[in-house]
Amino acid sequence: MKLFWSFTRQAFHNTVVYRVEFWIRLVSILLAMYSIRAVWQTLYTQRPDAFGLTLGQMVTYGVLGMALHAFIDTGSEWYIATQVRTGAIDTDLLKPIDFHVHMLARNLGEMLFGMGVMALPTYAIGYFVFGLQLPPDAGAAGLFALSVLLGFLVQFHLGFLLGSVAFATLDIRSIAWAYFAVISFFSGQMVPLWMFPDGLRAVAEILPLQAVYYIPMSIYIGTYSGTAAWSALGFQALWALILAGVARLAWHQVHRRLTVQGG
Amino acid sequence: MNPISLYLRLVRIAIKARMQYRADFVTGILGVIVMNVVNISLIGILVSRFADLNGWTIWEVVFLYSLWILGHSLFSLFMWHIRTLEDYLVQGTFDQFLLRPASAFVLFIGREVQYLGIADFAIGVSGMVLAYSNLRLTWGPVEWGFLVLAILAGTLIEMTLTLMISSIAFWTGRSRRANSLVMQVNVMVQYYPVDIFGAFFRVLVTSVIPVAFMNYYPALMLLGKVEHIGAWWPLAYASPVVALMMVGLAAGVWQLALRQYSSAGG
Amino acid sequence: MIHVEHLTKDYRRVKRREGLFGNLRTLFSAEYEPLRAVNDLSFDIAEGELVGYIGPNGAGKSTSIKMLCGILVPSSGRIEVNGLVPHKNRMANALQIGAVFGQKTQLWWDVPVIESLRLFRDIYKVPEPVYRQNLEMFNDLLGLHEFRDAPVRQLSLGQRMRADMAAALIHNPHLLFLDEPMIGVDVVVKERLRTFIQQVNRERKVTVILTTHDMVDIEKVCSRIMIIDHGQIVYDGDLERIRERYGTTRTLVIEFEESVPDFDAPHARLVKSEGRRKWFAFNRLETSPSALIAHISARYPVADLAVEEPDIEEIVRTVYRGGGPQEAAR
Repeated sequence: MKLFWSFTRQAFHNTVVYRVEFWIRLVSILLAMYSIRAVWQTLYTQRPDAFGLTLGQMVTYGVLGMALHAFIDTGSEWYIATQVRTGAIDTDLLKPIDFHVHMLARNLGEMLFGMGVMALPTYAIGYFVFGLQLPPDAGAAGLFALSVLLGFLVQFHLGFLLGSVAFATLDIRSIAWAYFAVISFFSGQMVPLWMFPDGLRAVAEILPLQAVYYIPMSIYIGTYSGTAAWSALGFQALWALILAGVARLAWHQVHRRLTVQGG
Repeated sequence: MNPISLYLRLVRIAIKARMQYRADFVTGILGVIVMNVVNISLIGILVSRFADLNGWTIWEVVFLYSLWILGHSLFSLFMWHIRTLEDYLVQGTFDQFLLRPASAFVLFIGREVQYLGIADFAIGVSGMVLAYSNLRLTWGPVEWGFLVLAILAGTLIEMTLTLMISSIAFWTGRSRRANSLVMQVNVMVQYYPVDIFGAFFRVLVTSVIPVAFMNYYPALMLLGKVEHIGAWWPLAYASPVVALMMVGLAAGVWQLALRQYSSAGG
Repeated sequence: MIHVEHLTKDYRRVKRREGLFGNLRTLFSAEYEPLRAVNDLSFDIAEGELVGYIGPNGAGKSTSIKMLCGILVPSSGRIEVNGLVPHKNRMANALQIGAVFGQKTQLWWDVPVIESLRLFRDIYKVPEPVYRQNLEMFNDLLGLHEFRDAPVRQLSLGQRMRADMAAALIHNPHLLFLDEPMIGVDVVVKERLRTFIQQVNRERKVTVILTTHDMVDIEKVCSRIMIIDHGQIVYDGDLERIRERYGTTRTLVIEFEESVPDFDAPHARLVKSEGRRKWFAFNRLETSPSALIAHISARYPVADLAVEEPDIEEIVRTVYRGGGPQEAAR
C-alpha cells in the first residue's frame, strides 16, 4: 500500500514538473472524445434506429472508451522494454521487492494518479460538452468502478507480458503497434462487440480483451446489469487471475535466464 | 559538400546502419500490416453497418486512408526520427550537429532511416489500387500528376509539422506528448472524412494543423467530389501550395529553435 | 590562438516549489531562477600550447568549451578563436577545430569506423593525399587499422576513443578540444593516447585543450594548467608554480630504531603511525625538514627517513576547496 502511494506521488511530481504535458494530455483526451462523438453522430443521423440503443448511450460508450484509455493504459510494456534495452533493469532486480509486485504498484499508482488529477475535469467536460450520460444508478456506478479496476489488471498483465518479450527481441516497438491495434479492436474500445460480424464477434467474446473496455463500458451504459453484470465481472476476475499467473510464470523463466547468464 | 549530396551520403550510411538489424525488419513490417488491416476493418464494420459515412462510401474511405498513408510512408521512411529530437537534446547528442561545417538541419535529418515506411508504402499502394478499381476511376495524366504532387505535399506537411512541434523541446525539454497530440489529430483525418466533424475541427485541420491537405482536400479533387465544399473548391487544389508555405514556416521556426539552443544549451 | 575576455554565461532554470500546493501552482505558472555557469572568465592560449583544463563537475568547463566551439552563445564577453568569433562564424570555426567528447561518440554507431571517417573527409573537404597521410599516421600511432572495419558498437571503449580521436583530427584542425577523452580507458590505451596527444601537439603544432579528472594525464601531458571552479578561473599557470603555491604541505616519514609512543613535534602533526614508522605533516613555510628532523632525532634514535611531496591531485583538491592564493600564502 505504502509502496504504490510513493509511486503515485512520484507520478504526480513528474507530471507537474512538465506542466505543458499535463495540459497537452487533457487536450488530447478531449480531442479523442470529440472525434468519436462526431463519428457516432454522423452515423446515427443516417440510421437513427440502428441498434435499439439511443444516440446518448452510443456517444457515452464512445466517449468513455477514449477517456478510459487515457487512464488504464499506463504503458508498463514501455517501461520494461526501456529498462531492458538500457540495462537499467539490473537495478530494478536488485531492489528487495518482487519485480512483478513492483511493476503492479508502479502502474496502479500511475493510474490512480491519472484518475485523481484528470478524471474530474475529463468527466465534467465529457458531461457538459460531449453529452456523456451518468450511469443508470448508483449500483451500476459501483460495479463500473470495480470493473475498471479488473480491466486495468487484465490490461496491465498483457502489457507486462509484452514487455517481457523485450528480453528476447530488445525492440518491441513494432510488435507493440500491432498489439495496440488488436487490443483496441477486440476490446471493443472503439466499436462495441455487438456490431461485429458474427465470426469476429465469436472470436472477440472468447478473448480476454473485452475485459479491458467492453465490459466496464457496457455496465456503465446499462446494457449489462444484474446477473449479466456479475457474470461479466466474474469473467474479468478469472482472466485477471489467469494472466497474473501466466505473467509470473513468464517472469520466472526470464529471471532464471537472467541470473544464469549473470545479468 | 552541397546539402543535397551530403544528405544522400548520410542516408546511405543510415541505410547501412539499419541493415544491421534485419531481425527487426520482419516483425516490424508484419506489425505495421496488422495494425493497418485492423484499422481498416474497424472502419469497414462501421461503414458497412450504416451504408456510408456522410456520403463517403467504404471504398472512398479506403481511398482517403491510402492517400494519407502514401504521403506518410515517405515521412516515416526518412524523417520519423524528427519525433525523437527531444532524445538528442536530453542526451546532449544534438551538439554533434553543430560541430561540423555543414547545415545542422541536413546532418540531423539524414541521421536515421526507418524501414517501417516500406510497409506503409505497400499498404498505401494496395489500398489505392483496390479503391481505384472498386470506384471504377478513370484518371487522365492531370489526375495522376496531381496524385504524385499530393503525396509529396503530404510528406512535406507531416514533416514540417513534426519538425515544428518537436522544436518545442528546445524550450520545454519535452515534445513527445505534443507530437502524439498532433498525431492524434492527424490520424483522425486519416480515418474519417473531415466533413463529419464540426466547423471548429474543420478549421483546425485546414489552417492550424493543416493535415486535411494530406488526403481530404486532394481526395475531393481526385474523386470528383469538389462540389462537396462549395465555394471553398480552391482548397481541393491547394495541397502543394500549403506544403510550400509550411516549409517556409518550419524553416523560420527551426532558425528560432537553433538560436534558443545556442543561448540555453538544450 | 584563443582569446577570451570577461566571458559570462547565464542559464535559467525552473524553480521548484515545495509541497503539494507548490506543485499544483507550477501547473499554471513557473518561476525561473538564473544560473551563472561561467562567470567573468578571461584567458589567452597561444598557438601550440597544451593546456589542462580542470575543475570539479559543474564548474563551467563544458559550457566554456561549447562556447569556444560556437555551439553556445555567450551572455556577455568576447571570444576569439584564431581570429574568428565562434558563434558568429560557426561553420568557419568548425573547420579549424576538432573535438572529442569522451562520454558520447561522434561516430555512426552501426557502421564501420572507416565509413564515418570517409564522410568527415568529404564534409571537411580534406584532399585525398592528406586524408591518406592522416590515415597512415592513425594506423601507426593509434592502431586504427586493427578496428577500422568494425562498427563502433562492437569496439571496446579504448578502441572507440582512438577512433573518435582520429575522427577529430582527420581534417588537420589547428585546435583540438578533448573533453574527458580518457574516461574508462585502461592504462595501456591511456599511455598510448597521451603519447599521441603530445605528438600531435608537438609535430603538427595543434593547440590542445584537455579536460580530465585524472591528474596523471595533466602531469604527463600538459605544460600549463587552468583550474576553473564556480565558473571562474582559480588558477592559471604551470605545474611547478602550483606546487610552490599550494603544495606547501610536506610529509616526513620516519622509521625509528624501536617502536616509540605517539608524540607531536613543533609545527608538525602526527597523521599516521604504523609499527616503527610515523608520518608527520608540516607546512614548509612554517618549519624546515631539517629543523624537524633535528628535533625528533634528539628524542628518539632514527633508523631511516624520507620527505614526501604532495601529489598533484591533493593540491588540486585544496584549490577546489577554495584554498585560494590568500590561504596558501598564510
